[in-house]
Amino acid sequence: MNASQSIMPELERAPGDERYYLNMGPQHPSMHGVLRLLLTMRGERIIKCEPIIGYAHRAHEKMAENRAYIQFLPNTSRVDYLSGMIYNIGYCQAIEKMCGIEVPERAVVVRVIVNELNRIQSHLLWFGTFLLDLGGITPFLYCFDDREEILSILDRVTGSRLTYSYGRFGGLTRDIDETFTEQSTAFIARLRSRFPMYTALVHDNIIFMERCKGVGVMTPEVCAQYGVTGPCLRASGVGYDVRRAEPYGGYERYDFEIPTRTAGDCLARFEVRMDEMEQSCRIIEQALADLPDGDVRPKKLVKKLKPPVGEHYFAVEAARGHFGMYILSDGSDTPAKIKLRTPSFSNLAAMERVLEGTMVADTIATTGSIDIVLPEIDR
Amino acid sequence: MPETLHAIFANPFVAVAIGVGGVMGVLAFNALFCIWLERKVSAWIQLRMGPMEVGFHGTFQTVSDMVKLLGKQLIMPAGVDKPLFLFAPLLVFAGVVAAASLVPFSKSVVIANLDIGLVLIFTFGGFAVIGIFMAGWGSNNKYALLGAMRSVAQNISYEIPLILSALSVVLMISAMGRGYDTGHGHTDLNGMNLAHITLVQARHGIWFVLFQPLAALIYFISTLAETNRAPFDIPEAESELVAGFHTEYSGMGFALFFFAEFANMLIQAMVMTVLFFGGWTGPLLPGPVWFFGKAYFLVFVMMWIRWTFPRLRFDQLMTFCWTVLIPLSILNLLVTAFVIKAT
Amino acid sequence: MTGTSAPPNLRGLVSESAGGDYGATGFHQRHTAEPGHIVEIAKRFRESGYVLEMMTCEDRREDLDAMRLVYTFNRAVADRHVVFVTLPFGGEAPSITGEFPSGDWFEREVFDMYGVRFGGHPNLKRILLPDDADFHALLKDFGRIEDAEGGGE
Repeated sequence: MNASQSIMPELERAPGDERYYLNMGPQHPSMHGVLRLLLTMRGERIIKCEPIIGYAHRAHEKMAENRAYIQFLPNTSRVDYLSGMIYNIGYCQAIEKMCGIEVPERAVVVRVIVNELNRIQSHLLWFGTFLLDLGGITPFLYCFDDREEILSILDRVTGSRLTYSYGRFGGLTRDIDETFTEQSTAFIARLRSRFPMYTALVHDNIIFMERCKGVGVMTPEVCAQYGVTGPCLRASGVGYDVRRAEPYGGYERYDFEIPTRTAGDCLARFEVRMDEMEQSCRIIEQALADLPDGDVRPKKLVKKLKPPVGEHYFAVEAARGHFGMYILSDGSDTPAKIKLRTPSFSNLAAMERVLEGTMVADTIATTGSIDIVLPEIDR
Repeated sequence: MPETLHAIFANPFVAVAIGVGGVMGVLAFNALFCIWLERKVSAWIQLRMGPMEVGFHGTFQTVSDMVKLLGKQLIMPAGVDKPLFLFAPLLVFAGVVAAASLVPFSKSVVIANLDIGLVLIFTFGGFAVIGIFMAGWGSNNKYALLGAMRSVAQNISYEIPLILSALSVVLMISAMGRGYDTGHGHTDLNGMNLAHITLVQARHGIWFVLFQPLAALIYFISTLAETNRAPFDIPEAESELVAGFHTEYSGMGFALFFFAEFANMLIQAMVMTVLFFGGWTGPLLPGPVWFFGKAYFLVFVMMWIRWTFPRLRFDQLMTFCWTVLIPLSILNLLVTAFVIKAT
Repeated sequence: MTGTSAPPNLRGLVSESAGGDYGATGFHQRHTAEPGHIVEIAKRFRESGYVLEMMTCEDRREDLDAMRLVYTFNRAVADRHVVFVTLPFGGEAPSITGEFPSGDWFEREVFDMYGVRFGGHPNLKRILLPDDADFHALLKDFGRIEDAEGGGE
């Protein structure tokens, strides 16, 4: 089979069959990244939807097999650059659990704070781009205004705005200071004051409601069949969050809710993410309030990591869902294999089922609402 | 000497040339100003600055953009229908310019004060629809065709509530416009003459928006749909499936479409000013100042709405027109007729 | 994912099971099975309310002289079962797409990266690499960095 055949296979049509192909992407002015959706349509209805991925494949898993564990650390942020901190620290936590490395108390709490800031930043970007896809261009600018605050705060502490290498096996690189605490507190107050505006102008807007209510419904059965996790699953009624199901990194100490909805449509996914931002604010406040003293750097500098032989799995709740790392170790300082189980991969696979039978005009709203990041699908 | 000048200007061809030149000049200047205004208003709403470099606060930005567009290569993709492709922007542009010649800027300044002025404005709007479809078909592009079909369907659907709400005003003129002396020998005013509509509002010192608020609202919403502005801008939406009927146009062709869209918006705002907001009437300041002030206020509201709301899906747009706007405008017309008959 | 359902009865389908080392490895239960039983195992998990969380493959030709498929099943109240299936290199495994549609893309990725074929898969073609690629990227003998200077692949 040569390449040109697979780009657009022939549609065998009987006379009177009015099906046609419509190709969305991979270059597309909407905000989805390099995704290609091959839609078989009749009129305005989608008969079959085939997501075609692989345009952003960068061989992260191959790189993992060719580097020492510590050398793979910068890669983790780039897998999903919007949840970069969560992935980066999650990888550190996976190695720490595997090798039994202890983390100082202060580092545990600081990790929670920066993780939740990262989650807020990811949801803010999603909010802006989702509205941009729907045609409301202005909220994008306001969300990026808010997001700039977070990026500046994290830039001051970690040195990077978006793709971080803040974690180390056993702690973090640099400690936070008074200014960080002040800035974070001020930011949370500012974000909370923005929520009423976002609600009034976006959520309560009748045009937005019409575009999102009842559109792109994902039932819990579809979610189970495709392994959908994250806000998409919680919007369908299943309250699964890795932070509650398999507590890690100190999350069990904090009082926060897992927002769920039952409708499973675009509006439900929107509401879940907005509520999650509020819950993240709560977690940050609690964490800042009881920040223990001490050092955040690793207690003992591990020069050569010698993990135990065997298979290990560790999962964190990234902004998009359940991010799992399956690590096969052969005892050396280079992993034998790392499989990155990314949430968007499974979330996008469900689109085959969800988009069938819908109108093509809803494709943009639905695909935007599940919040996919192509680089994490393609790795 | 004065006789020769008078003879020259009385020559119909010269008069037409001056008229057309004047209309195009005024329209060009205003449309360019409108484009700059759009960028500044959108920037202000979005917490940005907008153009700042070229001229004071970017006032010459549009001029340099137009010069750039004029200097671009005209790319014609293979397989386009050449006559349709080339003629489409001209048709859209011509319709808009022709409509501009019918609008009364003040009591004495109007290029062509015709008794069927209102009808002609809507007719010229129809030219634009044909032009859009020619562009979409002639582009030999699946997406442009889909965009053009949607645009045509949207335009012709929304023309109905547009005309029906304008008709409510026409009915009122026929009731209130008796016994005038306009200086051109009329005694009964004609409801479809734009200048006459303004005269009635001037005479009674009211704006029709107070008597016909529903018609004004319906007319405003239909105007948004006619000019393909958000929330009705599916045919031009960048992030939607189709990139719009003017996908394949570059350089001059695109410039004409772009210019025509803003000119159309301006003309529609001017017509709405005449119909509902009293045209050139207003105390103290001269007529044209009031006229342009009101028109630009409406343009500002249109821009404000564009940058605030997301866009409607196409079927929701059509449903809204046929199940909400048209019945309401018919109802409005019937109530107007009933009230006029009763009083 | 459903909440508290009982784990499936896998007697007769798996050759060995071990558990209790979640703290060290992240798995609540481990099983080893034959390729022929994997569809039935998947069915039992599905009927018990578990979800296919992840599926991947390992190139174990050096130490086990075989490929090893790894399936992870989980549910909302965490109970992670991992099933290891050893497969000779060049062998074929049955597809579990009939039980879990998510297997579709996971198996395509395993085929793409390791060359393992799945019988009964509705659409077994490459997913990440170019469609006309003639290599399987994650095999251990493909494109190692040390080989790059010696002429490369």
